[in-house]
Amino acid sequence: MTTPAAEDLAWRRVHPITPVVRGWTILAAALFVVGQQSIDDSARGGGIVELLRSDFWWIVPAAIVLVALVGFGYAAVAWRMTSYAVGEDTVHMRKGVLFRTQRHARLDRVQAVDIRQPLVARLFGLCELTLEVAGGSDSGIAIGFLRDGDARALRGELLARAAGLKAHRTGEPLPDVGARPPADAPLPAGADGPVDTAQAADHVPGVVHPGEPTADQGFAPELLERPGLLEAPEQSVLTVPPARLIVSLLRSGAAIFTFVFVVALVVLVITTGRIGIAFSVLPALLGGGGYLFNRFTGEFDFRVAISADGIRLRHGLLETRAQTIPPGRVQAVSLTQGLLWRGPDWWRVQVNVAGYGDKNETNAVLLPVGTREDALAVLSLVLPELGVDEPRALLDEGLEGDSSSAGRFVGSPRRARILDPVSWRRHGFSVTGRALLLRRGRLVRALDVVPHERTQSLAVTQGPWQRRLGLATFTVHSTPGPVSPAAPHLDAADAARLLDEQALRARSARAAAGPERWMETS
Amino acid sequence: MTSPFEPPDVTWSRVSPRLVTARLVPAAITLGIPLLAGAALAFTVSPWFWLLAGFPAAILALTAWVVPRQVHALGYAERDDDLLIRKGVLFRSLTVVPYGRMQYVDVEAGPLDRRLGLAKVQLHTASVGTDAQIPGLPPDEAARLRDRLASRGEARLAGL
Repeated sequence: MTTPAAEDLAWRRVHPITPVVRGWTILAAALFVVGQQSIDDSARGGGIVELLRSDFWWIVPAAIVLVALVGFGYAAVAWRMTSYAVGEDTVHMRKGVLFRTQRHARLDRVQAVDIRQPLVARLFGLCELTLEVAGGSDSGIAIGFLRDGDARALRGELLARAAGLKAHRTGEPLPDVGARPPADAPLPAGADGPVDTAQAADHVPGVVHPGEPTADQGFAPELLERPGLLEAPEQSVLTVPPARLIVSLLRSGAAIFTFVFVVALVVLVITTGRIGIAFSVLPALLGGGGYLFNRFTGEFDFRVAISADGIRLRHGLLETRAQTIPPGRVQAVSLTQGLLWRGPDWWRVQVNVAGYGDKNETNAVLLPVGTREDALAVLSLVLPELGVDEPRALLDEGLEGDSSSAGRFVGSPRRARILDPVSWRRHGFSVTGRALLLRRGRLVRALDVVPHERTQSLAVTQGPWQRRLGLATFTVHSTPGPVSPAAPHLDAADAARLLDEQALRARSARAAAGPERWMETS
Repeated sequence: MTSPFEPPDVTWSRVSPRLVTARLVPAAITLGIPLLAGAALAFTVSPWFWLLAGFPAAILALTAWVVPRQVHALGYAERDDDLLIRKGVLFRSLTVVPYGRMQYVDVEAGPLDRRLGLAKVQLHTASVGTDAQIPGLPPDEAARLRDRLASRGEARLAGL
């Protein structure tokens, strides 16, 4: 199989309204500036209003027309120069007017496929598709804007190709998820040697053998017309009710801080009688409020589903986002619980995915808030098999246990209390057949789970006080993201043994890990 | 008490002692300028400027004491499947980088390094947390290590 030459690719264009959707902020800003200027100037008796009354009034409409022509001309050229193509196992993107860029991404390296729909794009029924690959910030390919149906069809096509399905799925929807290998599970045994066509067809109904004439011709145009046809069927796992999201946000540290801040401010203003104080601290207040507002709108109507192409997340109030994280792309998971979430036993699940980076936290959230059952259900989507007897008991121990009761976690020794008097009892790790569990935090409880095959590198560090006490901190290096797994202040001997054994386990787990193309059996 | 920084059956390779020079020369230059300026002012203007000279002098003395120990503590070991890097005197660390996780290898050498015959090899994984650099290698050893790491990385490459 060879990648077709660039000439053979069918280049497609994005939707013509794209410049409007992308440029509306600039347009709004320009109108705002002009409007403000003319109001200011007219108050002083000059500027645009004055010009309109003079003999040269035609300059104003002429200038507007000229600017519009230039703007739309450039936008039209830019749109014409932007095109994308999907090859056998690559995605190509060409854009730029003066400085042309061409980007090729390998589909087997895809880390996530997101469809984003900002508020303005929603009015036109358009969305932007982002293909994330691991390569630092701005490494993905953003194809946008496309019509709703086109974007979903393209996502289906990309995922099918990334999964290693050589031919297209036929129009008949797949019977159920169970017919294909479950996400992130080890693929069926007996997968050695060349791919058995009959077996592959058994596993994935609707796959045509590459040898047949219909195969490898790309996706039939009629499939692109009908959204959702190419997509793997999905099973809904859970949804987050809006009421719970609101309450959880009110119980978060940011909300408490903002509330206390407001109360203190009101008291201060009343006692001193100087309203000016309120304006001087407005930015801080807006920051807190903005954070909560962003959390609310970003995580509103959060839905989690599972499909053969991985975990599907949908969320958002103003800007909606539909994420697909294929199997084996989650590098680390963390479950956290703030102090005030303890009563209802709520947890937040965040993940490290290589393409997302740590630039914006909203897309690295697997579950904004959920009960313990919800959180563990979501964790099991990432890691269906923990490789241990009674996984639930172990996870409970990781979520709320500490070293005061004996368990399967290896914790910090008692002498670590000098270095961390609050949470030394919570620090600890446990190793299962498939993952490393690290628990920490007493006020804000956290449990980090790192699948063995996703370990990037490991380290043990020791400061002077730790050396005196015979302690050491164990760190797992994961891809950039909200999860940074570590086990502080372990017994030095435990840390040394863990480092040695974990390096071994990571190696053997990598050797046994499923293929990058998750539907391929070889 | 077993130290986590001395794993059994690992033979450590040490970096070149010339790294001490490579690190002390820039420190001597940056600290030497305020030292000399302070001394000159102390002789010409007021003896109070000895305070200005004394501060960089103290830091320079500390650096001269610490750097040889730091360089001595630096070590690396190539195992079958991973590379171990050890460093630090006061704050110690031991990093294990599996060859299969390696994304790319950098070899760097500044003008002073080149004059002294030194090069730095840095390994990059998909994690930004991986601090895996080996400074102070002779260029031949750096090139050998780079090629060896690159070939091993390819042989064991398995996505992310």
